[in-house]
Amino acid sequence: MTTLDHPTSTRPIPNPEKSLITKLHMGTGMVVGAIFAFGTYFWLRSGQDMTVAHNVNKVLLISMFMWSLGFLIGIGAFIGPFRWLIGKDLTAEEQLYLAGDGQGVSRYFRYCTDHKVVGIQYLVGVMAMLGVGGTLAMMIRTNLISPGSKFVTPVIYNSLVGLHGITMIVAMIVVATGPFGNFILPIMIGARDMAFPRLNALSWWVLFTAIPVLCSAWFLGGIPTGWTAYAPLSVQAGPGMNAFVATIIIFAVSTAVAGANITATVVTMRAKGMKWNRVPIFVIGATISVALAIPAFPTFMVSMIMTALDRTANTTYFDAQFGGSGWLYAHLFWIMGHPEVYVILLPGVAALMEIVPVFVRKPLFSYNAAIMGFAGIAGLSVLVWAHHMYMSGWLPMLNGPFMITTEMISIPTGLIFLVILGTLWRGKPWMKLPMLGVYAFLWNMLIGGVTGVYLSDVPADNYLHGSMYVTAHFHYTLMGAALTGALAGLAYWFPKMTGRMLHERAGYISFWFVQIGFQVLFLGMFIAGAEGQPRRVADFSAMYKYSNMISTMGAYTIGIGMIVMLWAVIHSWRKGAIAPINPWGAKTLEWTVPFPVPLENFDELPVITSDPYGYGRSK
Amino acid sequence: MSNHDHDEEQLPPTPGERFTKVLKGKDVQQAFALGIFFTLVFVVLGWKFYPKWMPTIMSTDMKSNEALMVAFTYISAPICGLVLGMAAYTFLQRQRGDTPPEDGPGIRTNGPMVIVWTVVTSLFALLAIIWGIVELNVGSEAAAAEAKTALVVNVTGSQWVWTFEYPAQGIETNELNLPIDRPVIFNVISADVNHSFWPVQLGVKVDANRLETTVVHTTPTRLGPIDVKCAELCGLYHAYMETGGNIMTTTNFDNWVTAQGGHNA
Repeated sequence: MTTLDHPTSTRPIPNPEKSLITKLHMGTGMVVGAIFAFGTYFWLRSGQDMTVAHNVNKVLLISMFMWSLGFLIGIGAFIGPFRWLIGKDLTAEEQLYLAGDGQGVSRYFRYCTDHKVVGIQYLVGVMAMLGVGGTLAMMIRTNLISPGSKFVTPVIYNSLVGLHGITMIVAMIVVATGPFGNFILPIMIGARDMAFPRLNALSWWVLFTAIPVLCSAWFLGGIPTGWTAYAPLSVQAGPGMNAFVATIIIFAVSTAVAGANITATVVTMRAKGMKWNRVPIFVIGATISVALAIPAFPTFMVSMIMTALDRTANTTYFDAQFGGSGWLYAHLFWIMGHPEVYVILLPGVAALMEIVPVFVRKPLFSYNAAIMGFAGIAGLSVLVWAHHMYMSGWLPMLNGPFMITTEMISIPTGLIFLVILGTLWRGKPWMKLPMLGVYAFLWNMLIGGVTGVYLSDVPADNYLHGSMYVTAHFHYTLMGAALTGALAGLAYWFPKMTGRMLHERAGYISFWFVQIGFQVLFLGMFIAGAEGQPRRVADFSAMYKYSNMISTMGAYTIGIGMIVMLWAVIHSWRKGAIAPINPWGAKTLEWTVPFPVPLENFDELPVITSDPYGYGRSK
Repeated sequence: MSNHDHDEEQLPPTPGERFTKVLKGKDVQQAFALGIFFTLVFVVLGWKFYPKWMPTIMSTDMKSNEALMVAFTYISAPICGLVLGMAAYTFLQRQRGDTPPEDGPGIRTNGPMVIVWTVVTSLFALLAIIWGIVELNVGSEAAAAEAKTALVVNVTGSQWVWTFEYPAQGIETNELNLPIDRPVIFNVISADVNHSFWPVQLGVKVDANRLETTVVHTTPTRLGPIDVKCAELCGLYHAYMETGGNIMTTTNFDNWVTAQGGHNA
């Protein structure tokens, strides 16, 4: 942590005397949050009959939201808005203090408005979430190592599946736009900070409050529904389900705030001369991704509010007996669910597109095709949700139309491949760690994409729906493509974010362990799916013995690779070789600023005269 | 491209000549060879993978499902070959070093290439769409024709048991026995949460929803045991919500119905 600690300016450290701001941090937030949560819990339960499930749900849900609210009050998130209410604002000194100027490591534990601090907070938070989600995955695979294995009980197994799912989904949604979208993106477009720095801090700390809520699911009996939380199973579920509902609602607030903030930043804060056709492609991809999340997540939030009402207030949104419908839930969920996978995928792909020109030393091939690819995917992704419901029996006559829109997505996806291959073609790639990620992406996305075409076809889906084949397919796209893109992005931007080079040899070792383990794991799972093993089963018959054992071996290999990766990151962050300003010879703006990046990034704001892909000798 | 200066002709090459020249390039030929290799890998995969791993084909639907997956693998093989061939060729051109290498050619785009690529991927998408739509229509026409002679089975999913009621025969069991070569219509419903009715070897599937009947139909074409599973997470014992049954000769089926106390219809 020492490298982050250099004084970033020669200004005197701001010291707004007696201001409340200087006294608030993560610790005070947790204390106030805990007081709010437990106070609410004991106050509400005193007058209730706690043997009735509705009352338990009500008390728990309200306590969870009060924790979130209390934490935000305790960390000082609302000091600014409160001052506005009484007709004042923070003083200049207080604002400088809030930006973390000259505070060293302690600013990472405060409500800090500096986008670089928020980026690092997201990076560490995402790594923690991926670590937890990965550990859950290892436990799932351990239970599936052989038929009849009793590593965990079915109750715990179902919770493992659901919590692995939701932890990974949350982590993957912010894995690229969180760290890189906050730390790198504003510098890339030549801005001094985000458009709304206080909202930026809010988005991170709101997300942070969701983490203990999600963890509490373990102590409340787990969740039996998987991350899809289908009703009516979710309405029937025990108290652990409240943690899931509260997590999603809190998380939806965080993504809405972050999405609006990043979009506004890119629209309004670009450097002079940075026309739309000069914006780095990562910025385009990340912006389309977060902008797509803005309409998508509210439906998830609404579905969870309705679930909460069914669970607490005797409403019957999803109860067929009283005129509700489980299909209503499925629609709301998947109207979020399918755009959401592209919210995850696009920033990772865009990071790779940023990487390829730098290491091949050629311009990005057909910038316009890349934008059309992103926009086409984003546009179509809101029209395909019911392909998850082919087998639900909802309205089989609409399966045809949804099949058409789904298969049309292969056209913009083809453009993404064209852009990357066209940039590679006739180049001699400089084979550094980020570049390996590009090749892994091409292979994994190809497998994920082609198997997606089978699944989108109704007759094949007759057989494959709900089987392990689906699980293997979406891990190829989300982990094999999106996470690989984000890890390549980490290897690429690590020198700018930490001031040190990522340990290269450890990176290579990790890369090969993870990628080979990945192929083994999901090849086994494709076989299990083709053989007819349903998803999310705690146990299976002996005929799937070998495919599952292969998968588990692959999973352990990934686990080893990820531990090596974690070591590489921690070791390099503390003791790695000091990075030059521009180790890769790239042309985007973030490589023009020194480390540590000054508080307002640029001494003098840059003026842009071309796009950042001016590589290459003219013919 | 750079050794044009000794050309005596000042005329620019025609598109045909340029195309021939590109095809003769070492890079194109090597990438093409790699592409052929990867195409063959995927063809073999389509030929062997699904027939080897998917269960015995025991119905008309299962037959078309498996044929479709094999065919799609063949169709996608050249696309995979192209992508992987190009990628593998550039991977072989890689270079090491600690400082950024020299710049490559400054190619910003190639209009005809983008258009050709988009048209080709669109054609492949169109092929997949048409195939799927045709299969859907064949399926629904068959259903209409089958309706009169079909055996009706009312399937109820409840946590965590499948129940099969044969209304015309007046019996109710927990094993799914069906006569061969007679169309069967499953009316599926749930008593509690969502389940998904999946008679694996018959290649059909439909969710069991509370108080909403969903329908699926098929015709068993082969004698032997079948597995029935639940393909929608339905709570604690989801993994164990499975049963079995047999596709039987008509005589055996009638005997079984009688033994269960039912009457043959």
